[in-house]
Amino acid sequence: MHRSPTVATKGRQETPIRASAARTRAVDIDPRPWRWGHPRVLVEHPDEAAGLAIASGLRFAGYAVAVCPGPRGHGQCPLTGPAGCAPAHDADLVVCSLGYEREAAREVLRELHTRYPATPLLVEVPSEMDAELRELLDGCHPLPAPATPEQIVATVQSLSGHVAEEGLAGA
Amino acid sequence: MRSPFHSEQEAFRFLLLLILALIPIVLAAALGPTWLALVVLAVVLGVLALRVAQRRMRKVRGLELSVKMAPPHVGSAAERRVLVVANDTLDEEALLSEVERLACVPDTHLLLLVPALITTGARLTGAIDGLCDQARVRLKTALDRAGDHGLVVAGEISEADPLEAIEDTFATFAPDEVIVSTRWERAASGLEPRLAGLVRERFAVPVRHLVFEPGSAAQEPDEDTEARYRQEFGEAAARKFGLKTLAGVGILAAVLLSMVALVQSSERDEARAASQIAAAQAAALPPVAKVVVLKIIPEGKLGPEGEKHDAFTTTEFNVRVGQPQQLRIDNTDTVPHSITSPGAGVNIVLMPGTHTYTLLVRHAGVFLWFCAFRCDEWAMQHPGYMSGYITAS
Repeated sequence: MHRSPTVATKGRQETPIRASAARTRAVDIDPRPWRWGHPRVLVEHPDEAAGLAIASGLRFAGYAVAVCPGPRGHGQCPLTGPAGCAPAHDADLVVCSLGYEREAAREVLRELHTRYPATPLLVEVPSEMDAELRELLDGCHPLPAPATPEQIVATVQSLSGHVAEEGLAGA
Repeated sequence: MRSPFHSEQEAFRFLLLLILALIPIVLAAALGPTWLALVVLAVVLGVLALRVAQRRMRKVRGLELSVKMAPPHVGSAAERRVLVVANDTLDEEALLSEVERLACVPDTHLLLLVPALITTGARLTGAIDGLCDQARVRLKTALDRAGDHGLVVAGEISEADPLEAIEDTFATFAPDEVIVSTRWERAASGLEPRLAGLVRERFAVPVRHLVFEPGSAAQEPDEDTEARYRQEFGEAAARKFGLKTLAGVGILAAVLLSMVALVQSSERDEARAASQIAAAQAAALPPVAKVVVLKIIPEGKLGPEGEKHDAFTTTEFNVRVGQPQQLRIDNTDTVPHSITSPGAGVNIVLMPGTHTYTLLVRHAGVFLWFCAFRCDEWAMQHPGYMSGYITAS
């Protein structure tokens, strides 16, 4: 029998948009909100097939999923604008596999960190990292790239269990 | 167009926007003149139209981030739920065989969704029964055939837009895979070939696009064909949107012009009513002659005591306030006389001979006048002789 993961729904703590984000031109992109209950995982992956494979694994593990290919260029992600990103806002966990050699991808990670500090971030990281990326990854859950969908699902399950325990301890 | 009440969040946002749009219009209507409310209404509608157009164009150009979503898998890990979306292709043997093949796979739950493809025209006129019946018959034929082979296949028809129908099915059936069945080109009663691409962009599950043509096996369009569908759909959507925008602008302009005409006509009516009232008031006033012609005749009129007295032939003057009245007076006497009225502010000296004078009274009332030159003392004190009244109205 399939068992649903036990992720505690966390209370959201909004942090003010930083000056750099506020200066960014408003982006008219407004991804649709979630239509399914918790637990929800947002997967950020530029490759469609790989994103779908991870999503499939997560779905069968009992998670509602959203797959975002991430921004193609600077300022295109709604996370960096005032519109915000509904899937990120209501996700219980975010899997980031955007490839952090691009500034646009780092910007997303920065915004996720700033706006949703309570949401666990599972980041697929390259073996070689510069100092800036190392700093960005502070507080994240790194997973060496390339990770298989099974590894990602297992880590998400382990992290969500961790979150549930934290939630229970907090209560 | 997607319903603004599709989800609670969207309905709330729609309501909030509506209230925010109505506030300035209501304020302008309550505090300012009608034209200001019309201007604010036009501005608000313009901004809304611009915003809708912007969003629509972003969607048409594919600038939106395509975030795909999917619900959690339902059932055991071995179970597989397949959604088949079809309409006119259900008449094809190849599709029915594919449905049977899928239904034979152990632990596979199959749902056959048949969107009734109700056009806007049919929706507006309420003529949807025929389309729903057609979809129902196709679905029943397919389900009966699966039943004949001892297979369990669920099915439903939907009156909603195909994409919305699929979205709703994701909420109730939670498919692990979607199969969209179309023709190579869109038929009148068939699904749009682009639908598969739209489902792929929206949902994080595998989507297969199967094309069925009469008498041939299922085929899958290659990437180039899907790209062509995307482009054609985008162009058609842009064209349709352009036409809708034009129609919308036309309707908006017609509504605004009608309102302006209505306001102007009501203002004209008010002005006409005011001028009619003024005319009625003017008609009620005593008539005013263009030029009053009269004479001053020494000993020209018999008094009650039987003696003749100096007299004006006309001693009652009707004038309009502020309007000069011409008097042509032939003073047949050898000395000057006058029309003097301190109350009316009038003092006209009338020299011997025939001259034209102007009588001007600046406020309304009935004023006594008299000749201020010493002449016939009795006549100077008796209206109708060398005295009389000026009525200014």
